[in-house]
Amino acid sequence: MLAQLIFNGLVSGLLIALPALSLALVFSVLRFANYAIGAMVTTGAYLVYAFNGPLNWPLPLAVAAGIALSIALALLLNRLVFAPLRGRSGVTLLVASIGVGLVLENLVRLVAGNAPRGFGAEIARPARLLGLRVNQEQLITLVCVLAALALVWLVFRFTRLGRAMQAVADNPDLADVRGISRKKVTATVWALAAAMATLSGVLIGLDSNVDPQMGWNYLLPVFTAAILGGIGSPMAAVAGALLLGVTEELATLFLPPHYRTVVAFVVMAVLLLLRPHGLFGAKWVRK
Amino acid sequence: MTSYLIATLVLVVIATLSGLALNLQWGLGGLVNFGLFGFYMLGAYACSLLQMQGLPPLAAMLLALLLTAAASALVSLISVRLSEDYLAIVTLGFAESLRLFISYEEWLTRGTLGIPNIVRPFAELVPTAWRDLFFLGFCLVWLALVFVVLQRLARSPFGRLLRATREDAGVAEALGKNVLWVRARSFALGGAILGIAGSLHAFYYTYIDPTQFTTILTAYAFMAVILGGRGSHAGVLVAGFTVILLLEGSRMLAGVIPWLDGSQLAAIRLSLVGVLLLAMLIFKPNGLLPEYRLGPRPQES
Repeated sequence: MLAQLIFNGLVSGLLIALPALSLALVFSVLRFANYAIGAMVTTGAYLVYAFNGPLNWPLPLAVAAGIALSIALALLLNRLVFAPLRGRSGVTLLVASIGVGLVLENLVRLVAGNAPRGFGAEIARPARLLGLRVNQEQLITLVCVLAALALVWLVFRFTRLGRAMQAVADNPDLADVRGISRKKVTATVWALAAAMATLSGVLIGLDSNVDPQMGWNYLLPVFTAAILGGIGSPMAAVAGALLLGVTEELATLFLPPHYRTVVAFVVMAVLLLLRPHGLFGAKWVRK
Repeated sequence: MTSYLIATLVLVVIATLSGLALNLQWGLGGLVNFGLFGFYMLGAYACSLLQMQGLPPLAAMLLALLLTAAASALVSLISVRLSEDYLAIVTLGFAESLRLFISYEEWLTRGTLGIPNIVRPFAELVPTAWRDLFFLGFCLVWLALVFVVLQRLARSPFGRLLRATREDAGVAEALGKNVLWVRARSFALGGAILGIAGSLHAFYYTYIDPTQFTTILTAYAFMAVILGGRGSHAGVLVAGFTVILLLEGSRMLAGVIPWLDGSQLAAIRLSLVGVLLLAMLIFKPNGLLPEYRLGPRPQES
């Protein structure tokens, strides 16, 4: 029973790991809290749904197409909104991202309406693994998120752009002097952020439904996860997400499940009072 | 038509009050409050629930105002050692948690059923025909009061201190000012103003439920402050009118584009709010009326 709860918690933690990583990545490189992350999750899920539902493409193909489109959208938003505001305070960018979120979410509503939708996936019996009941969605989540995380890690670790991102995160001025292209790094960050948000949107959609509120409902847990890890350290956000997922699941033992958000808030409040730099506060760039 | 005008003006006053509260916290103090709608909701609910307990409307409103002030101060303390970005998410978390609490704790709040039959102050003294106009007057009195208090505050030593902590909290701290205390006080006062706005909301609609309170309220307030010019109370006054006129005006879209249904229209209007917010930030960051300042205007940091 307890093992099952912990397993469920880890998987629901994986659902918020990608947006949390995306949030922390944008924060550490572009220096602002991207409030639009929830809307990016929603928009990504709907883009994939557009290919999977009305156009009837197979899901993997639809995911690829949806990710490509959402990357294009993120780059467009960067050009239109965030690039003109570069150099302004983090708070200004934060307020701009609330505007971006508002526009994205309501465009989704305008086009797709308020009714929840589902991806075309067959329902399968839960499998038994080491005495745990594992749903098909959980398995898909596990595989997809771990693969995505591995991919992001490889990009950070072994590519020039990955090192450039770390350099900009560490010291933007120094990176400038060393001739690292801010433009390229920024574009890469947005592309990665959008891709991760979209993938998690699809997984959340498979787990429950696709609806215009979905990203918003995950906003607070995502921020909590990122803060838990230490918002300036992207990979720690993943650990924060897992920890939060397990905490939320264990909290259902003595709190009704609709209070998940409250659990996230309380965890965050306590953490901010006791250990404001996150549980894993050391900066990831100093390796 | 007159009643429509009065209704719109009441909405303008409520929106302007929210804008003024945000202007104090964010415009003057640099503290981002994304959970604005939560404090507003707290004010509305406290006022209505206290009234249900038999308190006269005005007394309920005053108590609600004190409660939101206290809640605001407490929430601002969570971010004791942190920068402004964290406060944004902490206030949002507070507001969301509160909305969930109100939606599910039916024994206290009647949950999604909402609270009906809220009575306006002095309602029994005024003839029915004059009731709405009288209530508009009541709202305007509060607006005037808040405006005068804020205007005096902005030019007082406390206002200067607030701006100093906005520009550079470290310097203010080094000069021996207790930054945390300054912030908690400005948050409390802003909370009280939101308590007033929330109470007026409850009085105006005479019925409240959790769906009336969403982040849109926060977005309107941000729009009012950015449009008016951060830190400028007079600017917010002008902007409150402009924002509501724009939103009310966009209702007319229904006549122009008849094939849209209600929720699509709402979606268009909200996207419009977002687009305007972004356009203001990018093209006119100082707003319509610049802030009152001593000495030269520094560059935006």
